[in-house]
Amino acid sequence: MFAANERMRLARAYVPFQIFSKRLDPMEGLMKGTIFPELYFPYRRHKR
Amino acid sequence: MNREQLNMLKELMAVQFTVLELHLYLDTHPTDQKALMEYNSMVHQLEVLKQQYQQRYGPLTWGEPSAYPWQWINEPWPWEICYE
Amino acid sequence: MWIYEKKLQYPAKVGRANVKMAKYLITQYGGPDGELSAALRYLTQRYTMPTPQAKGILTDIGTEELAHLEIIATLVYKLMDGASVEELKQVDLGGYYADHDKAVYYVNGSGVPWTATYIMAKGDPVADLHEDMAAEEKARATYDWLIDLSDDPDLNDTLKFLREREIVHFQRFGETLQIVQEYLDTKKYF
Ligand SMILES: [Fe+2]
Repeated sequence: MFAANERMRLARAYVPFQIFSKRLDPMEGLMKGTIFPELYFPYRRHKR
Repeated sequence: MNREQLNMLKELMAVQFTVLELHLYLDTHPTDQKALMEYNSMVHQLEVLKQQYQQRYGPLTWGEPSAYPWQWINEPWPWEICYE
Repeated sequence: MWIYEKKLQYPAKVGRANVKMAKYLITQYGGPDGELSAALRYLTQRYTMPTPQAKGILTDIGTEELAHLEIIATLVYKLMDGASVEELKQVDLGGYYADHDKAVYYVNGSGVPWTATYIMAKGDPVADLHEDMAAEEKARATYDWLIDLSDDPDLNDTLKFLREREIVHFQRFGETLQIVQEYLDTKKYF
């Protein structure tokens, strides 16, 4: 949990900025749906 | 579509996807020099692959030269290809 | 203007024809959180965006959604390939057949046609970007439910690709929201 500060005020939504460092190779990126490992959040079967 | 063409097409998809990802990233990070360099080098790779593919299999898009007869309408269209 | 490229964004496969899955999947063609809604929403919101980053990202993601629309159409087309009238009747697609045969039409999973009321362009960039972030999450959730419904690993492979794109789009819209909010803050104190 974060408190409001001069960079973040109340009643506003914030998504942190991505900082590019490395990327996957093109074919692996295509197969995963992103070339950025830090943005890869794959499907998991939950319940049902 | 034969194996060779399919492999080339997938390679093209992969490199183009990398360009797209860097492109979207740069939209919100226009001053990221590292990403921009990466983008420019991938654009170059994509250009080479596209030219190779089009020379062998005909135009992928509007405004490309065509052998006789008009190659654009050649089948298969993208939804007709078996990508196995 | 737009220029067509005669290729899919992703090598879209199905393991076998399956009219039941076609009936579910078509909601990502003409349903509320589908790719048509996404493309048309972003491409029309861009005119009232205040910063170059926002105009760019809506143009580019809107365009990518058109490529996703083509992938969904391809999957539906392949899932219906070779289906008999009898098979369509069995999964309650007789009504669809009467109106469209096996043409790919803009309906949701219950057969309701696409409507512009699925999308909004409010003119307020902060409100519009929040809608876009919500739309990406709703599309991501729809892909989760569709993957739950499907037992075809080839189909799921493509659905997982599309699902991951929604996550990347959410991130870009989130960054854009930040840029727009900061821009509007500086404008207020002139
Ligand atoms: Fe999206």
